Amino acid sequence: MGAVGPTRIEVLHLYKQLIKNSRLFNDYNFREFFLRRSRESFKANKHLNDSQAIIDCYNRGLEDLSVLKRQSIISQLYTFDKLVVEPLKGSR
Amino acid sequence: MFKNIFRTTASLATRSVVITTRPTYVAPSFIRLYSASALNKEDVTKRVVDVIRKFDKSLANSQIEPKSLFHKDLGLDSLDTVELLVAIEEEFDLQLPDKVADELKSVGETVDYIISNPEAN
Repeated sequence: MGAVGPTRIEVLHLYKQLIKNSRLFNDYNFREFFLRRSRESFKANKHLNDSQAIIDCYNRGLEDLSVLKRQSIISQLYTFDKLVVEPLKGSR
Repeated sequence: MFKNIFRTTASLATRSVVITTRPTYVAPSFIRLYSASALNKEDVTKRVVDVIRKFDKSLANSQIEPKSLFHKDLGLDSLDTVELLVAIEEEFDLQLPDKVADELKSVGETVDYIISNPEAN
């Protein structure tokens, strides 16, 4: 008997939280890195079938989310200059 | 030294008397009227479509209609849809509760929800 993995909805909620928290980063490089990492890791594992593997990935995602929440707040304590590649406010 | 303080408090006191005894009420030159929702359907639809176009470059030229389904017509998978809804949340400065976000499947449904939400702007 395998353990019951997270439901589809739960995985999507985790993804939403990861994206939302990634977007909070002030620094362009951090923000884009976490967005890219969230997207790529979820897409890479979208065909995962083994319930134990899904549980492992889900738990890793939860851990990453807690790190992300903490670090995005820390990121907001500092100011960063906009990079030239960043669209200025309003043009986004 | 103290004399100065007394003098200023005294002058403040007389000044405040002047203010409190002002006989007429001057109406402010402008009045802010708040309504539940200042958004009309056309604007919201346009902004939602703009967010979708900006979200995925491949959709930039495709036809986006209120009845377009994220999954079928726009070719977004469930992860893309989640991400698009986060972008829409940011555009309208609102929080979509998870329960609502899970149910939104088309452009029209999203627009209707935004209009019905008093926090949206």
